[in-house]
Amino acid sequence: MPITILQPALVPVHSTRDESYGSESDSDGGVDLEGDISMRPAKRARRTGDDSIVTPGEQRQEPATAHTQRRTPPAIISSVAGTLSKTNKLLSVRPLRARYTPEIGDLVVGRIVEVQAKRWRVDVGASLLAQLPLSAINLPGGIQRRRTETDELQIRTFFSEGDLLVAEVQQLYSDGGAVLHTRSLRFGKLRNGVFMAVSGTGGGGGVVRAKRQTFVLDVGRAAGGGGAAADDAEKIDVVLGVNGYIWVSKHVEGEGAAAEGTGPGITRIEESVGLNVYSSQNDAIPPGTMREIARVRGVINALVEHGLRVDEEMVITGYHEAVEMARADGDGEETLYLGGERGKRLADTLVGR
Amino acid sequence: MASATTQQHLLLSPAELAYLHSSLSLTPPVRPDGRTATQFRPLTAETGVLPAANGSARVCFADGTEAVVGVKAEVEKRKVLPLSKGHEQIRESDGDDAVAGENDWVEITVEIPGYRDDDSSTVFLATMLSEALLADGEFTKKLWINRRFHWKLYIDQIILISPPLSYPLPLLSLTTHLALLSTRLPRLKSEADEDPMFDDDWDASRFIYPRQSSDTTSATVGSRPPVTLLVMAVGDNIIFDPSKEELAVADSALAVSVGERNAPVDEASETMDVDGEPQAGRQLRLLSVRTIDPPSRLTAPGVPNAVNAAAWGQGGPVAKDPGARAAEIDDVEGVWKAPRGGTKVAILGAMVQKVLEKGGIAEEVLDGLDAVDLG
Repeated sequence: MPITILQPALVPVHSTRDESYGSESDSDGGVDLEGDISMRPAKRARRTGDDSIVTPGEQRQEPATAHTQRRTPPAIISSVAGTLSKTNKLLSVRPLRARYTPEIGDLVVGRIVEVQAKRWRVDVGASLLAQLPLSAINLPGGIQRRRTETDELQIRTFFSEGDLLVAEVQQLYSDGGAVLHTRSLRFGKLRNGVFMAVSGTGGGGGVVRAKRQTFVLDVGRAAGGGGAAADDAEKIDVVLGVNGYIWVSKHVEGEGAAAEGTGPGITRIEESVGLNVYSSQNDAIPPGTMREIARVRGVINALVEHGLRVDEEMVITGYHEAVEMARADGDGEETLYLGGERGKRLADTLVGR
Repeated sequence: MASATTQQHLLLSPAELAYLHSSLSLTPPVRPDGRTATQFRPLTAETGVLPAANGSARVCFADGTEAVVGVKAEVEKRKVLPLSKGHEQIRESDGDDAVAGENDWVEITVEIPGYRDDDSSTVFLATMLSEALLADGEFTKKLWINRRFHWKLYIDQIILISPPLSYPLPLLSLTTHLALLSTRLPRLKSEADEDPMFDDDWDASRFIYPRQSSDTTSATVGSRPPVTLLVMAVGDNIIFDPSKEELAVADSALAVSVGERNAPVDEASETMDVDGEPQAGRQLRLLSVRTIDPPSRLTAPGVPNAVNAAAWGQGGPVAKDPGARAAEIDDVEGVWKAPRGGTKVAILGAMVQKVLEKGGIAEEVLDGLDAVDLG
């Protein structure tokens, strides 16, 4: 069946906000005096704030100071759309969608959108473009030297528009703009894989800050499962940018973002910098690995669509679960598709429902 | 066959493009979202969402792209005097044959937030959809009231996410299809060439496309609005319902409009009936084919390591010798190069064939759309 057309899901019925004004409160037997409003319960039913969504401009009557709410006395008005959470008298709205707010030390995946004389402007999903100065990259040749005019002239040979890179936030401006650097072997241009953008920190699901943002996934079992023994274990690099940009690629020994710890330290950088750092040529990638890369991408998509967090543990468990699911379905391991119903099943298994 | 660009700016690095292209060229192709080559993204559909419109539908993809189509009908006086054209028709016969429509009785507008009304891409989308609708001249006949009056149909389409996450043509086409299926016009009470009077009982209104169950007599019974499908080719693989990334590496892309008519085959002249037997299955007709310029043609090529001054340590000393230019033109494994030249005729034929063949994609899509509950 190539096309699936579903009925729209029913809108979840929320309990009405004015529940406390129900009929039973008035039916306490007494005679209502005209204009006597004190017969009604003085206190409102407290909303837990789990499933109720507030919209920008919605008034919250309770007087309290609040984050992410604009205060125009005496009413409190939400300035973002999201779920309301309440701690004693503090109201805050957790936004449904938010842009990435850079912090120093974050590992981010970004895309070059503009090349200027001495720097690149990089889209990292924040409200401002981040910048990557020419002086914050490793030059080929490895030696630590001054950036000359020659480097400025051939700035596009390092990164040009559209190129993807993994970098670290080095510095923040007061307006929230970030300055990136790629001065480590872990960082640099990305190739041999696929990119996907999910919501970063701030939304419900999505990438969360974790101990490790990059990891290697061993897929040898599934990729070689067709018959050939998987001697040279197939591995996949996954880079989960804190900003919600994700890179899934074939693992190349000794380079790439996940080579953390295995490569030479920053002190011995001269010895190996240059090897493929600015290449835009893909290596030969076996079809099996491509299939598994697509599967990992599907797993991450399913996680995000069902509001689960995306981190190393979830992706690895989810991946193995997906392989098992494809096997159990009897469609063969070729079945990669993880949208719709299958994605829901995967998410349900992961949260143990 | 005219062409137009998809007009959407999607920035991808040469390495990504090369990867996508090579994974889509495998047999079977590995699509980034794991679908099979003919699989569509799951979608949610409902009709009758706009209470004030004559017909409406809403279709959403799981990624949040959403389209709403509303159909509004107005009674309009014919511009042409009945003397000039009407007489010829009346001479032929008395009844249904006098019914003839004109193309400007249908007006389609597409609105994508953030794009201007007269933006070439939205105008092209609207034209492509109306072209399919008007191609066989059957549709406008349904709008005929009498020789002095006719219905004017306004079909307004809105995409609710901007920029759209993929080329919105198939989404709009499916939504329009459903909206037209659910469109109802009030029942006519007046007779012949009187000023039209309508039954104000909405329950008595008739569907513009009568249901399968109630079909009996008329020649156009059982016909369905057209469906436009987006098909693309990478290498020898033919891929349906491409996402934005997939379209970005397409060698060629085609919008194929298919209509269906369950009338007996009588005028098989220019129409392309694919089914051998008239009784079995659906009778699909190819209404129009348009090539769409895939954005892949505008992408910058990748630089092979051999000539890359910055990718040092791989290719050896180069960068300035005359062979460097040649290397940019040659195909290098793993380096992106924008497709050049036109679509191969064999591929074009295969794409159309795959849509129309018995048990092919168009049939499956129409079956899927049949299952949608028309409110």
